Amino acid sequence: MLVVAANAAAQAPPPKAPQTPRAAAPFDVTGNWVSVVTEDWRWRMLTPKKGDYTSVPLNPEGKKVADTWDPAKAASDGCKAYGAAGVMREPGRFRIAWEDDTTLRIDTDAGLQTRRLHFDKTSKPQPERTWQGHSLAEWEPILQRGGLGVSLQIAPPKVGALKVITTNLRAGYLRTNGVPYSENTVVTEYFDRLSAYGTDWLTVLTIVEDPRYLDQPFITSTHFKREPDGSKWMPRPCEARSAQSN
Amino acid sequence: MLPPAFLFAIDLSPTSAMRQAPLTVVFTALVLAVPAFAQIDLSGEWAGTFHEDLQHRGGVRLGDYTGLPLNEAGWRKGQSWDEDARATLERQCIPHVATYAMRGPATIRFIKVIDPVSGELQAYRLDGSYGRPRTIWMDGRAHPSDLAPHTWAGFSTGTWERNTLVVSTTHIKTGWLLRNGAPTSDLATMREYFTRYDDYLVLATFIDDPVYLDEPFIRTTNFVLSLTTEANAWGNCGPAQIIDELGGRAKGSVPHYLPGQTDHIKEFATKSGVPVEAARGGAATTYPEYMAKLQSGNLDNRLFPEPAPGKSLPRVVSPQSSEPSDVVVLPVQENVYLLAGAGGNMAVQIGPDGVLLVDTGAGKVTDKVISAIRKLSDKPIRFILNTNADLDHMGGNERLAAAGSLSGGGRASDTPRPGALVIAHEAVLKAVSAPTGKQSAMPFGAWPTEGYPGDYKEVFFDGEAIQLFHQPAAHTDGDSLVFFRRSDVIVTGDIFVTTSYPVIDVSRGGSINGVIAGLNHIIEITIPKDWQEGGTMVIPGHGRIADEADVVEYRDMVTIIRDRVQSMIKKGMTLDQVKAARPTLEYDPRYGSESGPWTTAMFIEAVYSGLSEKR
Repeated sequence: MLVVAANAAAQAPPPKAPQTPRAAAPFDVTGNWVSVVTEDWRWRMLTPKKGDYTSVPLNPEGKKVADTWDPAKAASDGCKAYGAAGVMREPGRFRIAWEDDTTLRIDTDAGLQTRRLHFDKTSKPQPERTWQGHSLAEWEPILQRGGLGVSLQIAPPKVGALKVITTNLRAGYLRTNGVPYSENTVVTEYFDRLSAYGTDWLTVLTIVEDPRYLDQPFITSTHFKREPDGSKWMPRPCEARSAQSN
Repeated sequence: MLPPAFLFAIDLSPTSAMRQAPLTVVFTALVLAVPAFAQIDLSGEWAGTFHEDLQHRGGVRLGDYTGLPLNEAGWRKGQSWDEDARATLERQCIPHVATYAMRGPATIRFIKVIDPVSGELQAYRLDGSYGRPRTIWMDGRAHPSDLAPHTWAGFSTGTWERNTLVVSTTHIKTGWLLRNGAPTSDLATMREYFTRYDDYLVLATFIDDPVYLDEPFIRTTNFVLSLTTEANAWGNCGPAQIIDELGGRAKGSVPHYLPGQTDHIKEFATKSGVPVEAARGGAATTYPEYMAKLQSGNLDNRLFPEPAPGKSLPRVVSPQSSEPSDVVVLPVQENVYLLAGAGGNMAVQIGPDGVLLVDTGAGKVTDKVISAIRKLSDKPIRFILNTNADLDHMGGNERLAAAGSLSGGGRASDTPRPGALVIAHEAVLKAVSAPTGKQSAMPFGAWPTEGYPGDYKEVFFDGEAIQLFHQPAAHTDGDSLVFFRRSDVIVTGDIFVTTSYPVIDVSRGGSINGVIAGLNHIIEITIPKDWQEGGTMVIPGHGRIADEADVVEYRDMVTIIRDRVQSMIKKGMTLDQVKAARPTLEYDPRYGSESGPWTTAMFIEAVYSGLSEKR
């Protein structure tokens, strides 16, 4: 007889009370961050020319809308380029802090916008659509898939990035020259932190899916450097910026 | 903490009812050791996405350095770059260098390399994207010596930090950030952070280049897991495939734009509407504060801002561009080794016939040199070949020759003294000896036993042919290149170094055009294996082991500086005016010096005087 003792039940520790998202954070995303614009420089630091939607996978309808943008009326665009689908690409600074144990708050100096990332899945969007929409967040679990129902590799459970899905958006601009996204847009973001050369960095992978104006997900990644404090905070309202001439 | 084991009882006795039923075996869930690493699987084909920075990746305009934290040396080097350089014979087979390769418009492939015995992850291999295949070592091995050769892919090691593969890469050849001449030096290092999010892969790359960048440069590149596309298969590119694409150019001519000839960068600013100052890049332009400056219009939009007169840009101090502090031996290829740290570089050839040395260092640590040689071979030193008459190349001659013995078969009457034969060009013998009654520069025991006349000398030793080529009027009038034909190694003496501008001893017949001719001769002799890498290896007079591509970069630099000074002389500029114009500016952080035995000012003077005097 092949005998092997079963001892699992006898040794299982008592279940712990679930941690709050704040307590369970695998890395610290709070603090002051500044964008370092090393990519798409002339589409982000300047207002691109009308009709320049280089690398944005617009479908024909999206291009048609983009081509109707009037640079002479850019001042009246208001905060269209500062919605959740585009605000992280705006050169500027933002602060991230825990508003409570289940909500991360992001404040931007560019456009004076506030985003709330809700870890509470029962959180409901506001009745009206807004520039920042409604964001549900989680510390992304990286699950073992397949196998026999128990893991043969006894590795600690993995937690990945801060994953955020945003819906209920008001239609806005992916770029300041009127490249549009519709209210049907879903924005998925992965926030992650790394350290390099003595500095903390935040990277944000942004996937914008808009069945109305895009023919495939629009994928960008943006990086930010941690600053020791908010002394360089430069609050400014939503605004048109220097345009590329000609 | 290991979870509990789940174990089951299985009754295999002959009377067991289970024997009558289909045998269902439930295996024990074994308790396995926790892996030494906790990683996310990155293996697979990953297709690049190009929804950002497309114009820097799919095609890029001359003069567009927007977003790059280039310092003054960086953008000036970029502006002098002529894209015809890519079509020269020595550059056609260059693949994308590691600092750029992941930006190429292509699919990449991550492959796990598993140790066949232990089953553990040994490395990742990263293919595709128009670069050379990269190996990312995961087994904790150290990076090579600072004197080891550089490659296009560099040398990479990786570790896991939480869910991210962190890769450190060193030993990268001189290369670029963009394909329009935005440079990286051979002192650049790279850190990469590969993170997988579901079926997306984000690569955050940091490039730290103290020669050309204000601060470490970060960019993020995105990929999506691909089930249908494959990484590029590039075949091969070697010397046989190279053709003359720039017909009519003089041999050794280097395409470049002279200072002030910057109309070629005007097009980008004109067509894009980006101000010229912003197009030059710089760390300050990448922060939000710069938007206010753009709004103000208070910008320096001159196409060619004159360099500020005064001191040159500070030299970057790096172990990779300095002399080693102690004697070190590295294998180069086949029978030949580099011995460094004793003064000028030495080459050591070993074999059944004995030991042959090229140069002997400064003579201050000869005991250590002998000890290092003895670790390679216990056979006698038979030959010493000197590349020039400098003390840091001949200073060990007396003791090392005395420690050797005459080559078998030779006659005692062939040499003025016992010990190894010492061969150099006759100009070296003239330089170190003296007329009767006068004090010689070196003791008799250090003199060459043979000063060969003319341009050429042959030796056969340790199973290979060795050629000495006299290179006239280069570093001095007595330089020799030493070429080991079977080992395929060339020892260049001070015609080629990786630590400074070439030293030109005008008083002993050296000249800038002679140095350039010597560098071109080295390039003629060297043949790369493939992808403009490897093949003939090069031991410089000072610095790290190199190959043809490294010599080409150095040749280009020296030629460009020569052309600039020549152009200034034609305009009638005095030496002081030439110095003030800073013709070496963008190379100073890598090769220049404000003090010591060979300064930037001395180099410019030597170039100027060599081009000014009527020969």
